[in-house]
Amino acid sequence: MSKKKFVSKRKKVCKFTAEGIDYIDYKDVELLKQFTPVSGKILPRRVSGTSPIYQRKLSRAIKRARIMALLPFVGE
Amino acid sequence: MPLYELGLVLTPDLEDQARDAFLGELKQLLAGHGASIVKEDVWGKRTLAYPIRHQREGYYLFWQFEGPGSAVAPLEYKLRLSDEVLRYLTLNLDRELRRAKKLAAYRAAQQAAKSAVGSAPAEEAQTSASETTGAVGEEA
Repeated sequence: MSKKKFVSKRKKVCKFTAEGIDYIDYKDVELLKQFTPVSGKILPRRVSGTSPIYQRKLSRAIKRARIMALLPFVGE
Repeated sequence: MPLYELGLVLTPDLEDQARDAFLGELKQLLAGHGASIVKEDVWGKRTLAYPIRHQREGYYLFWQFEGPGSAVAPLEYKLRLSDEVLRYLTLNLDRELRRAKKLAAYRAAQQAAKSAVGSAPAEEAQTSASETTGAVGEEA
């Protein structure tokens, strides 16, 4: 057989589609924190599985939260 | 008239009295331009994610107000000139929530279509949906 290892893949789901969150509020810091690692970056879609529509909304909300000093521009 | 949301971060070293006076001025300004405050949400002092003007804390509050768009420019002008304000952000909530409302309406229609087939499971889903939106609203 080939040397390819079998990697079990976990199905990624878009949190916002799954939970029916229509509007991502920049004030919802706890929610936004789930999508920012300690570095303070915005977690990419390929990692989080967020659908394109919500990724755009999410990134806008995170940027707004940064302006209002609710989230850091740069983390540790 | 559209609904706006104003987010404010004030300096933490402001006395309660001075802060009330400042907020009173803002309210007067809004009223003068024909806008009325619908909802007030005061978070109080909160640690900033990064220091602003050597301050580590900020006094957070959020207002929702309804009024003509012409009220926003003078409001932001005043906020920009005020030393009390560390950060501010005004959003047109009608524009922000347009898509959310559309989605909610679409989902309601879907639910209605589903409930026409089998009423019991659809009802269950509806209640859970309203619960989640309620939770989000509380956060906001």
